[in-house]
Amino acid sequence: MEQIFSIIFDVMTGTPALIGAAIGITWGIIGGALPGISPSISMALILPLTYTMQPVVGIITLAAVYCGAEYGGSIPAILISTPGTNAAGATVIDGYQMQLKGRGGEALGISLVSGVIGGLVGLVLLVTLTGWLADAALLFRPASYFAIGILGLSVIASLSEGSLVKGLISGILGLMIATVGNDPISGVNRFTFGSVDLICGFGPILIMVGLFAVSELFKESGQASWPKAQAATKIKLPSFTLWRKRLAIPHLIGVIVGTIEGIVPGAGGTVAAFISRNEAKRWSRHKEEFDHGSVEGVAAPECSNNVVTSTSLIPLLSFGIPGSNSSAILLGGMLLHGLRPGPMIFVQNPEVVYGLYGGLFFANLFLLVIGLVSVRGALWLVNRPKPYVLAVVYVLIFSGAYSLNHSLFEPTVVLIMGVVGYLLRYIGLSPLPMVLGVVLGFMVETNFRRSLQISQGDYGIFLGDPVSIILLTLSFVFVSVSIYRMVHESRKQA
Amino acid sequence: MNVRRRHLSQLTGTLCAAGLLVASTSGVLAADTPAYPVKTVTLITHSSPGGGSDLFLRQMIKYLGPQMGVTFVVKNVRGGGGAKALAELAKLPPDGSAFYATTDTCIQTPMFGKVEYTIHDLEPVVNVFEDPEVIYTRKDSPLKSLKDVMAAAKKDPKNAKWGGGTATELGRQVLERLKEIVGVDLPIVSFEGGGDAMMAVLNGSMDIAVGEPGEVSAQLEAGKIRLLAAFTEQRLATYPDVPTAKEQGVDLVLTKFRGLTGPKGLPTDVVKAWEEAIPKLLANPEYKKAYDEDSLIPAFKDQKAFQAYLAKTEVDLKTYLTKMGVIK
Repeated sequence: MEQIFSIIFDVMTGTPALIGAAIGITWGIIGGALPGISPSISMALILPLTYTMQPVVGIITLAAVYCGAEYGGSIPAILISTPGTNAAGATVIDGYQMQLKGRGGEALGISLVSGVIGGLVGLVLLVTLTGWLADAALLFRPASYFAIGILGLSVIASLSEGSLVKGLISGILGLMIATVGNDPISGVNRFTFGSVDLICGFGPILIMVGLFAVSELFKESGQASWPKAQAATKIKLPSFTLWRKRLAIPHLIGVIVGTIEGIVPGAGGTVAAFISRNEAKRWSRHKEEFDHGSVEGVAAPECSNNVVTSTSLIPLLSFGIPGSNSSAILLGGMLLHGLRPGPMIFVQNPEVVYGLYGGLFFANLFLLVIGLVSVRGALWLVNRPKPYVLAVVYVLIFSGAYSLNHSLFEPTVVLIMGVVGYLLRYIGLSPLPMVLGVVLGFMVETNFRRSLQISQGDYGIFLGDPVSIILLTLSFVFVSVSIYRMVHESRKQA
Repeated sequence: MNVRRRHLSQLTGTLCAAGLLVASTSGVLAADTPAYPVKTVTLITHSSPGGGSDLFLRQMIKYLGPQMGVTFVVKNVRGGGGAKALAELAKLPPDGSAFYATTDTCIQTPMFGKVEYTIHDLEPVVNVFEDPEVIYTRKDSPLKSLKDVMAAAKKDPKNAKWGGGTATELGRQVLERLKEIVGVDLPIVSFEGGGDAMMAVLNGSMDIAVGEPGEVSAQLEAGKIRLLAAFTEQRLATYPDVPTAKEQGVDLVLTKFRGLTGPKGLPTDVVKAWEEAIPKLLANPEYKKAYDEDSLIPAFKDQKAFQAYLAKTEVDLKTYLTKMGVIK
């Protein structure tokens, strides 16, 4: 133990690791806040700069970008209904409602504190439980992944206030979108109509930016001015009383979900954010506030996606398997420095592993400080006269989408999804089940078919897997309860 | 202005010649190696920073830059399954200042959708490496060799748990060919990437999987898995104890290639410069140490051989994908 601390001390004092962490966090927040630039792209953009750094400094910088970006995405999500990152899509819903009610500063404060808490708790789990959690990750088989996805989708039943049918329509639209592109099981291209751009399918971020942000812009453009002057123009950190009363449980949910999604390869922060928001709603005593500016609806996803930034390092370090797109970039960075993550890295390069732990700790502290500073600027910007803000946001969104691949395909998708989102609002369909379908569809479908490939068509595989049976039973109970309530209430009204 | 420019170029020409003279007399540069026609060369890849081709290029230029006296720049042009990178290169002048790190990807893409430019719009230059595939199992598995895997599959095809990638991926191709050789019908489970398949082997969902050595090295060092065979002509430098499939009586060699292509109409001296530079680069002991560690197999092919190889690969791939029902 003492040795570990002395290694961390050496790395922190003997190398520019702290500078790397600060640069990483700053760039991460900026990259995350720009719509279209996901955490993995922010990391990829800075990766070439780390080639010349010492390995441990380069890795810390990259990991810090990841932390910063997962937080940064929530800034435009809350202020202008534009998720900067995939995971921030879950924050848009309540965060933006809070902003509309003049509580934007408070939402940003909750998001920041939740992110820092998530990052630090995740780090503690990473440091203390890596071996144990890595073994737990092995419990997850294709049938279990399928069940995680189903649990996520089961929330559509409770999401769709009033009309279950409308919720299902929206959810199925999302699942349909998720089938476009290269079929991961057979390799056949589906619904691509000979277009090379469609081979990889639609990126969830494009769908979310379109549905949430562009449709909101359309709506705003049609209205004269902001509904009212923004009262809170200052960031407001949550008080301890608020934390104890309202945020502790969403944070706990965020930590649990973030840990599972982090250690299970392939899931990542986006799935974590959406599922933890769903669960926070399910277990909340203030369900009615959700979708209308709930503090819990901001705290849970923002906590869990930052938990993932730490816990996704568990499969990366112990198996050499990246748990998310962003940790895949981190893996690339490690390989470039001649580091091979896997069980042996703890023996062969302890300075990198423990240095990374130390670096992540300081990165999370920097996140709090730099986050506080940067949010001031963002709040000021968003409180300029409405025509200016709208014009800038349009430019930001479409240039962000364009910059993904330097092609017109991505902005076109965003624009079309914007129109779709506007129409959905018009006919009273919530876009949220659709987004859930897009985010979870791929995971549900591929693991469903993969499981059946393994069992050679025997559906019993989903009931033979312990993780799967627990999660499927939970989903079944949740859906039944929602349906029962709905029927019960409609009878009461009649 | 024009006159002055001409003078300048003459001057630099003379200086270069003088430099060459000095160099050759001091024995640093061989007299028969003319300087490369351009100073800066852009190497385009469709892989993102940290991805396979990106790592290949960035490792290579560390050694190739000083050797050729050229400044290399790596440019990542992502998207469209390599189509964007290919299109960007096809429009550049063929003066030896830009090349594309070519892999199977860009041969596959046009089979799936309409693209503006294909590999036929480019000029092959040289092949540098081949990427091997290996078959592995859990440490405590009763399967000890490729023969065991095939015998077990033949005996009880229903319970053979073979994990591979999606139909277009090379590891999957290896398994499909292996299945043909065994001569039984057994299901091959598709995983998205090497990492997923590795987890499935580790937790017992799968008995065996095929992947790249880079994906399995960490688990191998930790003693969690065992390699059964390499699908290469010769044993891998990194794992000299692992027999090839051929040695075990299975005639199956499948590798990915990593080569360079340029815009159509490259001058012969540029092609020649590369044909001379690559064998020399591959012989560099420091670089050899690095690429051996990455399990890359040096596989230099000159322009002619590379062209023939590309044509054959395209036909093979088309046949395989048609058989798999992926393309019509």
